[in-house]
Amino acid sequence: MSFKDQLSELANRQKNALAMGGQEKLAKRTEQGYLDARSRVDFLLDQDSFREVGLLAKSNVKADRDCTPADGKVSGFGRIYGRDIGIVSNDLTVKGASSSETNAKKISYIKNTATRSGMPLVFLGESSGARIPDSMGAEAMSQAGTDPQQYCRRRETPWASAILGPCFGSSTWYSCISDFLVMRKGAVLAVSSARVTSLAISETVDSEELGGWRLHADKTGLIDAVADTDGEALALVRKFLSYLPAHSGEAPPVVPLKDWTAPDKEKLLELVPVERAKTYDVRKVIRAIADEDTYFPLKERFGKAAVTALGRIEGQSVGLLATNPMIKGGAMDPDACRKATGFLVMCDSFNIPVVLLTDTPGFLVGVEGEKKGAPAHIMNMMHALQLMSMPKISLILRKSYGQAFLNLGGGRNSDEMAVWTSADVSFMDPGIGASVVYGLNPNDNPEAHAEATEKLRTDTSAYDMAAVFGVQNVIDPRESRSYLCNALKTHKNRKTNGVGRHELANWPTYF
Amino acid sequence: MSEFTVEAELAGTVWKVEAKVGDALEEEDVIMIMESMKMEIPVLAPETGKLLTIQVAEGDTVREGQVLVTMTASS
Repeated sequence: MSFKDQLSELANRQKNALAMGGQEKLAKRTEQGYLDARSRVDFLLDQDSFREVGLLAKSNVKADRDCTPADGKVSGFGRIYGRDIGIVSNDLTVKGASSSETNAKKISYIKNTATRSGMPLVFLGESSGARIPDSMGAEAMSQAGTDPQQYCRRRETPWASAILGPCFGSSTWYSCISDFLVMRKGAVLAVSSARVTSLAISETVDSEELGGWRLHADKTGLIDAVADTDGEALALVRKFLSYLPAHSGEAPPVVPLKDWTAPDKEKLLELVPVERAKTYDVRKVIRAIADEDTYFPLKERFGKAAVTALGRIEGQSVGLLATNPMIKGGAMDPDACRKATGFLVMCDSFNIPVVLLTDTPGFLVGVEGEKKGAPAHIMNMMHALQLMSMPKISLILRKSYGQAFLNLGGGRNSDEMAVWTSADVSFMDPGIGASVVYGLNPNDNPEAHAEATEKLRTDTSAYDMAAVFGVQNVIDPRESRSYLCNALKTHKNRKTNGVGRHELANWPTYF
Repeated sequence: MSEFTVEAELAGTVWKVEAKVGDALEEEDVIMIMESMKMEIPVLAPETGKLLTIQVAEGDTVREGQVLVTMTASS
């Protein structure tokens, strides 16, 4: 065959592979408002930066060679904000993007290359699970699981996933071991489909109930963010990765001075009520401290008594972990602790210093929490905080009582602690303490209870802490941002250029 | 339109009911305020919708997980 003919054949094969599952299926997706696997890649990456590998891969089953373009998984490398990444985008129009012998090799290739070369990895999930009938039978199963590191996470580079349709099997597994997981409304994340599940348990199962966004955003805490459209989800993946380094061996990128603005610090005096009984939304405080438009919440609808967010202070990425008095008074429950633990693991793995903002009446106590193993979740979080080697700066806004004081950086559990003038620190709320210590019931004996409360309220102030160097400084709330910025600079590890020990990098991806 | 319940996120006393049956609520609007752990803790609408029923009264003691109100989602 002449080169002319060879090149014509190559062009023809490429054209067929790029046609994906055919015009009809693609048109239907467009009608439904969903992007196809290739449009998603283009939308996510910097313009014209996609370099595909495996375009001409096909099913290893000979009879399927002509109907498996790219074998249902588009894979390659590209750039986000100028940085190289590896990507796998599932093409549902080709055999439901089901997992096969060939496309498993493609995923493995991208994953191994990204890990070895220090690139973030992005998975765009939408697949039906194992390819049937290819994977039926003992012989086929014996070919599965040949990579003993397939689902092993050491967090050498960041992984981000978007759930953009039905996700079962491997795209569910990869999503669940990612550092960031965004789900488009209407998508499903589950072990297997509603149809398979219904057949297996002889009970009708609804897809949304089985793995819809509400389940994962509110109840399981598996997902970090929710999006209305494919485009919105992909924009969140780009934004998430912008806070992180390309790999664990470097510090996160710093946004130059001209590209960030400081929020209005005067607001800080109005956002937090001085009265201890009043609640407020700590997310507004975070916004008044971090660079404008950099607040990036994670798992906002789950374990809401704690807020976990990425943000920047003077262009430097920080992890913000705060208690939110608006929810449960800021008393962390097991879900809030699980969320905090996972967040600390991510920050430690990717060299992101942490700022802890505290206003809490203590951990939430009660039968429901104990049933969920509250003490172990509190200790998981504490363990993570103590193993974490990145700078930890703690700021008490108002109340901080009991063990929660320690879990949020009190004592020597942070590198530096400052308190607002409104700080109030003790073992428990003085009003509850009066009942416990003196056996006084506020309804039976209000005057004696009030007197005992007042007695316990003395010696709990910011200045009592400062006097014994229990905190490094007492500050004007309006100085919070500049204080935190300077403290972060002081505690940066210059010897490693801001790279930590990563003792949490091998911790689980879900708690 | 799907109906859903809003439950007490922690044990406490109903201090003040702020919303009325029939109110159209935005996500995070205050439905009622509970007293617990010496704090006034708001119960917020988890999503935009209409308030259908209120199942507790001011002064009631409620358990964690107890249904406080029912709503219908607007979408």
